[in-house]
Amino acid sequence: MDIKIALAGNPNSGKTTMFNDLTGSTQRVGNWPGVTVEKKEGRLKHDKNVIIQDLPGIYSLSPYTLEEVIARDYLLNETPDVILNIVDGSNIERNLYLTTQLLEIGCPVVVALNMIDVVRKNGDVIDVEKLSIELGCPVVVTSARQGEGTREAAEMAILQAKAHQQAGHPHVFEGPVEHAVAHIEEGIKNHVPASHLRWYSIKLFERDEKVIQQLALGHEVMAGIEDAVTTCENEMDDDAESIITNERYAYISKLMDVSVKKAPRKGNLTISDKIDRVVTNRWLALPIFAAVMVVIYFIAITTIGAIVTDFTNDTLFGEWIIAPMHGWMETIGAPLWLDGLLVDGIIGGVGAVLGFVPQMLVLFLMLAILEEVGYMARVAFIMDRIFRKFGLSGKSFIPMLIGSGCSVPGIMASRTIENERDRRMTVMTTSFIPCGAKMPIVGLIAGALFGGAWWVAPSAYFIGVAAVIVSGIILKKTKPFAGEPAPFVMELPAYHAPQVGGVLRSMWERGWSFIKRAGTVILLASIVIWFLSSYGVADGNFGMVEDMDTSILAAIGGAIAPIFAPLGFGNWQATVATVMGLVAKEEVVGVFGVLYGVSGDAMTMVEEGAFSGLAPIGAHFTMLSAYSFLLFNLLCAPCFAAMGAIRREMNSAKWTAFAIAYLCVFAYAIALIVYQLGMLFTGHGFTVATAIALVVLAFLLFMLLRPTPGRNKSKLAAARTRAAGSP
Amino acid sequence: MMPLSLAKQGDTNYIKKISGRDDVRQHLAELGFVVGEAVTVVTEAGGDMILNVKGCRVALGKSMANRILV
Repeated sequence: MDIKIALAGNPNSGKTTMFNDLTGSTQRVGNWPGVTVEKKEGRLKHDKNVIIQDLPGIYSLSPYTLEEVIARDYLLNETPDVILNIVDGSNIERNLYLTTQLLEIGCPVVVALNMIDVVRKNGDVIDVEKLSIELGCPVVVTSARQGEGTREAAEMAILQAKAHQQAGHPHVFEGPVEHAVAHIEEGIKNHVPASHLRWYSIKLFERDEKVIQQLALGHEVMAGIEDAVTTCENEMDDDAESIITNERYAYISKLMDVSVKKAPRKGNLTISDKIDRVVTNRWLALPIFAAVMVVIYFIAITTIGAIVTDFTNDTLFGEWIIAPMHGWMETIGAPLWLDGLLVDGIIGGVGAVLGFVPQMLVLFLMLAILEEVGYMARVAFIMDRIFRKFGLSGKSFIPMLIGSGCSVPGIMASRTIENERDRRMTVMTTSFIPCGAKMPIVGLIAGALFGGAWWVAPSAYFIGVAAVIVSGIILKKTKPFAGEPAPFVMELPAYHAPQVGGVLRSMWERGWSFIKRAGTVILLASIVIWFLSSYGVADGNFGMVEDMDTSILAAIGGAIAPIFAPLGFGNWQATVATVMGLVAKEEVVGVFGVLYGVSGDAMTMVEEGAFSGLAPIGAHFTMLSAYSFLLFNLLCAPCFAAMGAIRREMNSAKWTAFAIAYLCVFAYAIALIVYQLGMLFTGHGFTVATAIALVVLAFLLFMLLRPTPGRNKSKLAAARTRAAGSP
Repeated sequence: MMPLSLAKQGDTNYIKKISGRDDVRQHLAELGFVVGEAVTVVTEAGGDMILNVKGCRVALGKSMANRILV
């Protein structure tokens, strides 16, 4: 029989590090059923019969956040053989709050007193034996970061599981509460499993709605419980929930007195506090943040990133894979279509996408370091003040930062946002931020039409940020998103030196989510696009065609093209390029090169700044129509991979459809306004399209500036209640 | 009593009351903000603050800091 160990603990208690240390490379990452909270499972390195289940980081077992609900459902319904509770020894008081709850579940519990190295460094002494006796469960000291004691902790957990050694119930509550709980236990003992009796009783005492719903006890039993609770509340002069919370802390405080000796701190401020005084300072916070970002992008895009990207694109794929593959196909006499499908279609298509991987990995590596160090949490805090003005929370900022590398991990990073409305809005707007793959489009347009003007690229970021802000304001005023963003509450981990393993793992997880999609969605799309662009009707016969002009893709493009006429690029080439952009944004550049007859590789020309070669493209556009094309492609639905990520994070077909429709409509509206008004101001006369653009602009401004519906009403209602309440 | 958001950097105050909906109060309690507890302001910027409570560092937005009375 396999033994199941559940890892439970506060966020930042070192749970993930412990999990990584225990399981090594045997992890499986998935989602908890029905929700997008990550579920990690693995097997113990030294004993493959032991399954380790990582639970989300939680502060308690109350049902207020999704993570807490998941953790408690798991602990109660799937009954792990033992709970390994990770307690941050340097924050022991707050961490034990969860421990007191875990002990009530009626499952064997082992406490891993983690970060013991920090405790020692602070000069604190924790009497482990005393703690263990008081809590009624084994306590093992560990330092997951240094690999100390983790194996012992796991072995102790296995021992407890094999012995079915239920944790004792420490004497947490005062007489009146224990009295009431005993009363409740008596009333429900036939309705719940014996081992969970105490947990259910305490939850009923707290009037936990989820538990009341789940147990659906009879009227009489409930009345008896309510009676016991009210009596206790009257006696203690407080509400039941607060009584429990306060008693838990009071118990822990007593426990601290007997088992922990804190060394006197030198001065009041820790090093982390001192750093925080500087980096979150009212005036310095933003300049420091800006400087950090500039350095990161400089390294990721221009130096290291560019070197590895060039190598992958030109040497790895260009010289080492594609050319030899062509040669090999020729020698074995493979038919031309197979050569085209395999080499140009699949390897070319997937390779173009994989070319971005190194650059992305460098960016993710830097962001992972910022996260490990603890700076990211501060960034969310700093940005909250600004983002709040647009109806977004500071926690929305991190997904967007990651989204500037690739939208897929960016969208996935929105998971840390607890409030569902805020999370949905972040998922919808993250892809507005130009990702790495959109930059070649910017380069192409800047090179072909604007002579490589410097301002085109910054304007792309500016437009992306503006689109996020405008969308934030507009969406907040619609019904599904109404309401202030959830107030900002976030624990900030202490600053510490990054750990190589953790940083690399986080970088790889994000990068892998991108590569995996290149291998699935993009692979499939590449095949379809290759087929559509190389087959068609020529000379009255269906078959492979020489010119893309006669391909199926051209026909489809031609049919859709009129839609884009009001945006200034209603020709089939631009349409096809836009459609191809859905596969992967940088495809747009390659398609332009082929369709407009650029001699040579358009992507290389963009990269090398050889803009004269791009002249054939310039001939088909005006500056205005090119910029409109750029706007649409930057803002419209992202690539299939990112759409897949949206689908996964929204966890609803309806919301996914809404998100994608919103992106497309928004992009269309902006491009329409810019192109038509541009035409008007450059003296091309007032047409029906101009009128439509003005109407759209007016509508957009209305949505942006209108007062929040319902706000006055609720203010009125509040005023009325106040009036009614006053004597 | 005054809202915590008005406290100055470096101040240590004792929590006298926490207002707000049950779930908000509960969440604050989980993080260590309970009546009678000492809280120190590590940094303060326009009402948003980083606080030290029970040895943990917690960042609160202004609207949240307003709910804690010291």
